[in-house]
Amino acid sequence: MAEVPGPAASGLVDDGDADQLAALTEEIRRVGLTSGATVVGIAPTSAFNDYVPVGHRPEDFLPGARSVVVAGTPGPSKAAWQSPNRRLMEITGYDFRENVASLVMAEHIEVHHGYRAIQAPSLPTSGHLPPLSMMLAAVLAGLGTRSIAANIVLNPEFGLLYYAAVISTMPLLPDRQLDENVCPARSCIRLYEQEGRTPCMAVCPATEGGCIDATIQDGRIASSFYDRERCATRAMNFGIRGHIKQVEMLADMDDPEQRRGMLNSDDFRRNMAGIGRFKESVAQCFECMRVCPVGRYRRKLK
Amino acid sequence: MDTGAGDGLDTEVVKSQLLGNALKRGALVARVGDPGLLDGSQPGQRPVDLLPQVQSMVVLAGAAPRAGEWSSPRVEVMETTGTADRISALGNSLARTIEETYGYYAMNVPTTTDGDDRAFLDFRAAAVASGAGTSSLAGPVLHPEHGFLYLAVVLTSLPLGHDGPLTSGVCPAPACSEMWDASGTTPCMDVCPIDRGGCIGGELSQGVVIGRRFDQNRCRDRTYQYWVPGYQAVLERVLDEPDAARRKMMLYGSYFTRTLWSITYSGVAQGQCFECIRACPVGGDRRDLQ
Repeated sequence: MAEVPGPAASGLVDDGDADQLAALTEEIRRVGLTSGATVVGIAPTSAFNDYVPVGHRPEDFLPGARSVVVAGTPGPSKAAWQSPNRRLMEITGYDFRENVASLVMAEHIEVHHGYRAIQAPSLPTSGHLPPLSMMLAAVLAGLGTRSIAANIVLNPEFGLLYYAAVISTMPLLPDRQLDENVCPARSCIRLYEQEGRTPCMAVCPATEGGCIDATIQDGRIASSFYDRERCATRAMNFGIRGHIKQVEMLADMDDPEQRRGMLNSDDFRRNMAGIGRFKESVAQCFECMRVCPVGRYRRKLK
Repeated sequence: MDTGAGDGLDTEVVKSQLLGNALKRGALVARVGDPGLLDGSQPGQRPVDLLPQVQSMVVLAGAAPRAGEWSSPRVEVMETTGTADRISALGNSLARTIEETYGYYAMNVPTTTDGDDRAFLDFRAAAVASGAGTSSLAGPVLHPEHGFLYLAVVLTSLPLGHDGPLTSGVCPAPACSEMWDASGTTPCMDVCPIDRGGCIGGELSQGVVIGRRFDQNRCRDRTYQYWVPGYQAVLERVLDEPDAARRKMMLYGSYFTRTLWSITYSGVAQGQCFECIRACPVGGDRRDLQ
């Protein structure tokens, strides 16, 4: 894991002493936590340079940027994980709280501290690559590490979280990246040693038509394989991708009755619902996360 | 029912806090119903089918069009601002609070539809079971004080005291009964008569609704001209159109644009007809301001 620059190394203490910096950092973190974020971490902008090319760094979006404040929220409610109707997970899987928290923090920074702040662009604007990677931002902010399961960043306490970020010119005290990888969890290592696979590999094995494969040596991920295209076609059937596919099929159809059948089908309507209310039907597969032990105890309620 | 939770939680206090917060944050009505009252629903649509541990059904109601919107002479105002997601957001917030503060499962039931365009849960039945209102001739559940409101339903394993249904029906209002006695119709039936191309019909006797007719498909066609049904209709016309210039005109035309606006901004142009509720006297005094 890359060495994390401290405040001195990243030139963040030139605007005030370390205590003031720490106090300001805690203030911003508190604003995020009270605005809906479950976790808030801070990454220095310079940390991105080791991992992503020009065009995908914080300063490419906000010249003079010094800090990236990352907010994470759990997504599906615990009740949704419990529901026998799997559509509940599809629909209630995402409530945008991390976006709300990041917008509130950005506004707070501009209004109360006079520094520029923007919500980091995370949705692809061309191609399939995000302008700024929220997964990388979360790792650099010390909120989690990448996992075997679809490369999802796992928080050590909460497991799967959704992330949004603020890019700001405000100097803040960065958090340390995690010293230990969250994945594989101890129980997964034991299972791998016994059976040669982890729960996520067992539920979605790449060698048997699934998406995930990996090897573990000395309790660490030695190699991992993730079939992103296959996962995307299974986990994201509705929404924009599904609609584009249906429009292509409709345009290719010569028979008006066949077209009418597709236009009025359940699938077409669900695609439109997925587009219209983005939080609805964003994803249709959570199985690798359902079996992941990290943060699972937090899904057990009364 | 026993409202004491096994962990010593004072559920009466918790209920008061939860509902009080919802009211403070914008709900006009907050009630708790017995989810068992919906056990007669279709399999798959019962509360227990969505959350096996369900003990309580919290119903929040509010986010009705404002008095100013009702009074606007431009129909586009009601079309674009009359439907709001505010109450659904409150439901999400309440569910999160129950899970994160009290450690019980809680689910804000989606307002969208499941397969075959079926609702996940009958929100109107949930509202009636909790006492958030009663059924009406016009269709929506009416609250005795506020009239027509939008609904959110939160299912939870937290055992809260059930408020139960209202003991008397809100519809017909006394003014509507008088109108029926005088002229054989009510304001909602008069504005949208089912036997003259409208959607609503019914019969009253001694101030009670004894028969109701409602043409749901016709109402839907008129109320949802844009949004997904409108998009489906116009896209079919576009794909059937052999002339390239006409296709282009339809695609760039105002109607196609409006269907997409209404889909992507979910609060925009979802409903284009509020006339039965405009004529309804229940809660009407709240729409009269200076």
